[in-house]
Amino acid sequence: MDLFFSSVLLILAGGVFALYFWRQFHLMKTVGVAAVSIGCALGVMDAGAKLFDQQTSSASFVYLHSFSLSFQIDKLSAFFLVAIFGVCLLATIYSFHYLNNSQKTLRIAVNYFFFSLLIASMALVVCAANLITFMLSWEIMSLSSYFLVIYDHHASENRKAGLLYFVFSQVGAMFILAAFGIMYGYSGGFGFDVGAALPDTVKLVVLILAFIGFGSKAGVFPFHVWLPHAHPAAPSHISAVMSGVMIKTGIYGILRLYVSMNLHTPLFGEIVLVAGMVSGILGVVYALGQHDIKRLLAYHSVENIGIILIGIGIGMIGVSFNQPFMAVLGFSGGLLHVLNHSIFKSLLFMGAGVVLQKTGTRSIDALGGLLKKMKITGATFLVGSLAISGLPPFNGFVSEFLIYIGGFRGIALSSTAFVLSLMAIISLAVIGGLALACFSKVVGVVFQGEPRTAAAQDVNEKGPAMLGAMIVLAVACVVIGVLPRGFIQMATQGVSALNLGYGPIPIEPFSLMAGNITLGASVFLALLVLVMFLRRLLYNGKTIGSAGTWGCGFTQPTPRMQYTGSSYAASILEFFKPVAPLHEHHSAISGLFPKKTHYHGQIGDIAELHMDTLVVRPVRSLFDKLRWIQHGDIHLYIGYILLAMVVLLFFV
Amino acid sequence: MIESILLWLFAMLIAPFFHAVTLKVKAFFGGKKGPPLLINYYTLIKLFKKGSVYSTSTSYIFKLGPMVSLCTAAVVLMFLPIAGRPPIFSFNGDIIFLLYLMGLGRFFTIAAAMDTASPFEGMGAAREAYFPIICEASLFMMLILFYLLTGELQLSAYFSGTHPFELWQKAGSPLLFVVPSLFIVLLTENSRVPVDDPATHLELTMIHEVMVLDHSGPDFAFIELGSFFKLFFYASLVGRLAFPFELAHPALTIVFFIIALLPVYMVVGVTESVMARYRMDKVPRFVLTSFALTFFATAIILEFIQ
Repeated sequence: MDLFFSSVLLILAGGVFALYFWRQFHLMKTVGVAAVSIGCALGVMDAGAKLFDQQTSSASFVYLHSFSLSFQIDKLSAFFLVAIFGVCLLATIYSFHYLNNSQKTLRIAVNYFFFSLLIASMALVVCAANLITFMLSWEIMSLSSYFLVIYDHHASENRKAGLLYFVFSQVGAMFILAAFGIMYGYSGGFGFDVGAALPDTVKLVVLILAFIGFGSKAGVFPFHVWLPHAHPAAPSHISAVMSGVMIKTGIYGILRLYVSMNLHTPLFGEIVLVAGMVSGILGVVYALGQHDIKRLLAYHSVENIGIILIGIGIGMIGVSFNQPFMAVLGFSGGLLHVLNHSIFKSLLFMGAGVVLQKTGTRSIDALGGLLKKMKITGATFLVGSLAISGLPPFNGFVSEFLIYIGGFRGIALSSTAFVLSLMAIISLAVIGGLALACFSKVVGVVFQGEPRTAAAQDVNEKGPAMLGAMIVLAVACVVIGVLPRGFIQMATQGVSALNLGYGPIPIEPFSLMAGNITLGASVFLALLVLVMFLRRLLYNGKTIGSAGTWGCGFTQPTPRMQYTGSSYAASILEFFKPVAPLHEHHSAISGLFPKKTHYHGQIGDIAELHMDTLVVRPVRSLFDKLRWIQHGDIHLYIGYILLAMVVLLFFV
Repeated sequence: MIESILLWLFAMLIAPFFHAVTLKVKAFFGGKKGPPLLINYYTLIKLFKKGSVYSTSTSYIFKLGPMVSLCTAAVVLMFLPIAGRPPIFSFNGDIIFLLYLMGLGRFFTIAAAMDTASPFEGMGAAREAYFPIICEASLFMMLILFYLLTGELQLSAYFSGTHPFELWQKAGSPLLFVVPSLFIVLLTENSRVPVDDPATHLELTMIHEVMVLDHSGPDFAFIELGSFFKLFFYASLVGRLAFPFELAHPALTIVFFIIALLPVYMVVGVTESVMARYRMDKVPRFVLTSFALTFFATAIILEFIQ
């Protein structure tokens, strides 16, 4: 564990250094970034080694003379650590050129401080070996990310987003605390291993409470409401980390409790699977309707968490129906998607960050034609888009492929498992199609065509640190997509820590699958090279002209005539109207010489719309009615305390 | 293996011919003589000889689009059991790979269209992104059905050798639902009437054709060739499923396969001649019919199996 703790300490030291030397902007940034990234690099190496190591390493410290803070790195933790440290390493490097405003030195220093705290606490969350350690790290993680979200605290919408995030993370934490409380109450121990001894019904209650709590961090529908607000508010490298890895700690929590409970009733697997399908489809539908590129990406996190949960749910159903192969396929597909999503989502957020920094706008419909000036950003964003749409030969396909095969295994089962597997497969197919539509919209409207406004016109992409981080991530997308063997093995290593009771997981079927994916991808790539060569031959020595796009009779086409993102998504959204109500504002056209008109459309998120009527208002009216308790007389408050103590003395 | 490669090359060579059959049938219904059966070869050769004019709005993606769509279609044919013979490549789950690979081709077609900054091409792109989503759901439903019947997850397990015949023996009546369902997918994926009209010249009514307005020369030939391959893929699935007969000699089977493909292309032509194109917002219902048909077929199968 020594290497792990030294990397965490190094990361924290980098943050503290940045805060202390905030006046010397360049020194602060250089040393801070260097320390944090070296720490992350050490962490990745350590976690990678531990993933293939047979031993589980652990350490513990006494805290406040009564509890012990104990840490343990098993293969599941190691798998998440690889993703956490890997993405944070690149995000830190990216931030070097992203946070380049020397007017805001203090703010940037504070940002580095909380960023290092966030990285360290995420790493501690996935290594925590008892409930107290877990809860402490969890809270540090939530609070430090809250301060990162309100980086631009001058804008009121960002403060609002921060508040929303704060409320959601605390309510979620309370649910987790309740689950842990029940665990402690029944067993009297703080370790994760106490779960197995609980009665079955209690286990189910614990799991469901924890699922709500972890789900609100992971962004599972309908607890995702904070996500589309918080991600656009935070600086882009922070969104990359929050969306790429922080929300995955929720997935980790679900898996960790699932392991500890050792409860193999089909019911929990079914809950997870259904939650996954709903999040997956609704996430991508809402993403389609967004005009803000970072908000759109945030909704895609909801979608991808859905895909991960579909995988995990298939795994859980496989376990409860005693289908080892289906179980391992589902879990490893889900885990691999955790890694894949952390790669392509942080890549996309970084790309969006470059666009935001250079153009100053996040509005999709205000951009256009960026590809010609931003060659690297455009190409890497394209790779990320293809990967997130799950297309071969990129990494998103590999994990979805595993989940599909697992799902087809479920088709052979009886009744509910059959119906749910069927629905899972169809929803994965629909999610794939919708994601393709959504990202062809983003690439097409933001990066291609002609610039729609002045903001998109004279852009450049300076900042080698930003571009370098994105290139590394894009290369990772292709490498995992073409040569997935080692990465599938990483995922199966992670699954082996789940104690499914199947002993060592056989490698052959997985290497066979990986080999097949490699075969398909390489056949395609080889043929593509051949066709490229053929094309070059065919164009050899021919006249190649250039002219404006054929405007179908228009002699004076303007960029404003281009298809916008809103119109692109309109017909698909029409289909999903019941779950995605469209609110339109436009003045009617009237008269022979109509005046200038405008149009504004917004997709309503049903979770957000109904949260107000179903949760917020009832809670508020309840507390309004209880307000008489709090009347301001200090004597009565002392009386309450006395009464409470007397009552407790009687009952405890 | 050599036989499979030869069949693959043969399929790529003959795919343009079959498309001309459809044109001939349409001309017959229109009371015209119609183009010669080799028209598509003449067109391709003409296009390959030409140079190109590129729009100033476009980038390298515009040039990448035709190549990727051609490549994906050619790779898909490598996995297709032609005339019931084993394909060049085949593995467990290959059909999922193929469906997603076609998705890649679609992404690049859309991206190439969006590259031109033309509002019409954007319109076509939006439709191209929309309708295949439902097609994909329908195809995966079909896959579930075949998986239930055979327990296999590869194309060659459904369409090679005597497998399709066994499918009919196992579940004849549900397959009667699947054939039209697959045919609807064929019409949608290949932009035929009643979903899309490849012959019209009004951009507002086109899907696929409007997306390639700005392509010219060899690039356009690549696109055309890719779309012939794609049509051949779906047509041979329909043909193999509808006429699953295996003859005594392999050569005879291949001849029979070619003859069996003709009715499929002819039915496409007949459909195009006797039907009008649907209003764009009614198309999803038509495509959903395909999903519903397969879904009910699966429901019927469940009765049989249990």
